[in-house]
Amino acid sequence: MHQIIDSLNQFWQFTGFANCQLANLIMIAIGIIFITMAIVKEWEPLLLVPIGFGMIIGNIPMFPGLNVSIYEDGSVLNILYQGVRQGWYPPLIFLGIGAMTDFSALISQPRLMLIGAAAQMGIFGAYLLALVLGFAPNEAGAIGIIGGADGPTAIFLSSKLAPDLMGAIAVSAYSYMALVPVIQRPIMLALTSKKERLIKMPKPREVSQKEKIIFPIVGFIMTAFIVPSGLPLLGMLFFGNLLKESGVTRRLAETARGPLVDVVTTLIGLTVGASTQADKFLTGNSLKIFALGLLSFIIATTCGVLFVKIWNIFLKEGHKINPLIGNAGVSAVPDSARVSEVVGRESDPKNHLLMNAMAPNVAGVIGSAVAAGILLSFLG
Amino acid sequence: MNRNLKTILTGAAILFAGTALRAQNVSDLIISEVVAVPDSSVALVDDFGQVNGWIEVFNKSQGTVNFGGCFVTDDIDNLKKNSIPKGDLRTKLGPRQSTVLYASGDSRQGTFYLDFKIEKGKTIYLVSNDGRTIIDSIEVPENLTDGLSNAKFAHDNKEMIFDDIHEAVPTPFSMNGKHGSETKSQIMEREDPHGYTLSITSVAVVFFALIILYIIYGISGEIFKGTFKRKKKGNVDEETAAAIAMALEMEDNGESYAAIAAALELYLNDTVHDSESFVITIQDNPASEWRNKALTFRKTPRK
Repeated sequence: MHQIIDSLNQFWQFTGFANCQLANLIMIAIGIIFITMAIVKEWEPLLLVPIGFGMIIGNIPMFPGLNVSIYEDGSVLNILYQGVRQGWYPPLIFLGIGAMTDFSALISQPRLMLIGAAAQMGIFGAYLLALVLGFAPNEAGAIGIIGGADGPTAIFLSSKLAPDLMGAIAVSAYSYMALVPVIQRPIMLALTSKKERLIKMPKPREVSQKEKIIFPIVGFIMTAFIVPSGLPLLGMLFFGNLLKESGVTRRLAETARGPLVDVVTTLIGLTVGASTQADKFLTGNSLKIFALGLLSFIIATTCGVLFVKIWNIFLKEGHKINPLIGNAGVSAVPDSARVSEVVGRESDPKNHLLMNAMAPNVAGVIGSAVAAGILLSFLG
Repeated sequence: MNRNLKTILTGAAILFAGTALRAQNVSDLIISEVVAVPDSSVALVDDFGQVNGWIEVFNKSQGTVNFGGCFVTDDIDNLKKNSIPKGDLRTKLGPRQSTVLYASGDSRQGTFYLDFKIEKGKTIYLVSNDGRTIIDSIEVPENLTDGLSNAKFAHDNKEMIFDDIHEAVPTPFSMNGKHGSETKSQIMEREDPHGYTLSITSVAVVFFALIILYIIYGISGEIFKGTFKRKKKGNVDEETAAAIAMALEMEDNGESYAAIAAALELYLNDTVHDSESFVITIQDNPASEWRNKALTFRKTPRK
């Protein structure tokens, strides 16, 4: 009998109840909130559900040494986590993004690319603020990339520059991407006049298949020559797009934008969520990262809208750009372009900005990958 | 043998040879530091508690290099004087990593022990595993101060060109010079503490990259739109069109107008001609609507 009680007592020591701490419960609650937001509000459900569930997995209290935790070498989660830690998953996601993105809007109106460049100022604004808050330059660079509004890029760069902060950076990036409509709308309305919001832009011209095929090849060569360190992201993005547009690799394109990107998204979300163990996540730095992430989104949106307003001063009547597409320079595709459309229609129900906003939106994807490459070459 | 097969085999052989060389690119190794007479108070002590002279081998590449099977010698006439054993995993040097070989005079002590002692005035050579190619060498100056090393320093951390060789305080197992121990982030913290330089440079580069794309796609877009297309011979310019209009004005019967109107009607609201592909072909096209049997089906007559 005594032996049985001892065994039960020993087993109790292995259970989550015996090892539970308040921090674990807080993180599990955050995970449940993420899942709830994804299911009820449908905010980035493909990411927030895996991340939220990953948070719960990563914060189940346990006896160390069972070789099941994400930070224990050789555990299943640890092996899956290597895809994040070594930066394998983000380029694969970029392959899928390339294979599912139609760059026609950008090709037909290349001038709108500059808005995508302007919105990247959010990254560097956050970088400067992070330095002020006492982060080291490599950490500041990793935090700044949240302003690119691009989850895979944020994970890729933070895994290289500041692996310890990756969990907080990834969760922050995806959270704010889910909140793009909430964050961007008031800024857009505050910075634009009623007259500006009514500006009508011409419908993008039809783009030939040849142009679509040339785009990824030329785009890749030029950007990779300028920023070779962005090669993994840019290469995969443009390669995926070539698969889509070439017309002869339909099966590869379908796999890249379908099953492959689904598998990688599931794994990246789950492992990033699981990496947010309470002892590593619930720190003062995480709070600072969340604050800086929000600021970077605000700066990026502001810079995008203001850039268009300033540009409009030099443009003739009939060629002016609706500043409501300035927010779409951040690369939250297609959410930020949708915000442009929705806010535009609030002023004029007949003014459809979606296709015009898609141009800076996809330019933002390229811009944030270029910015990540620059930060990597300076700080990596 | 078939000529094509020969070409394929030769190509494959070159490819495999190239792959093999790349796999173990020992040419990326250098002897980065040598100590002849260590300072007994702060000297590097080996696994046997001995204090000997040593050489440091550094991998300047970004890949792992295995130097097992290479040779180390202080005699140019005997390049195979001391071989590094193969099969020891520790001979794999990671990117920008270094290791130390102890010149104890007895290589039986282990993989990292040499058969000779380092003498001042001599030159130490690192020889490839072919036993002929000298990968790198370092002199042990006659006047080398006891306790100090003769070390190689790189001016450029990216290119890894070690063109500065001088006497220095020994730093075994680590890259020589202050840059060796400083990360890019630390360098940036020292040189750009507020981050303004990096931010302005980066924004400029992002704009530059996208402006380049804007220019390229702007030009290619104009080309595809046909802006730069030369007018084909026979196309009607504005003056000719005006002359034709004037000639038509002078006609009384209006037959020309009628003909032009009919042509335009046919062109714009074409219900007569098949516009499947705009290509006239004499090849049989089973997919053509003209051959579609379904269109020729008739109801089976009732009996």
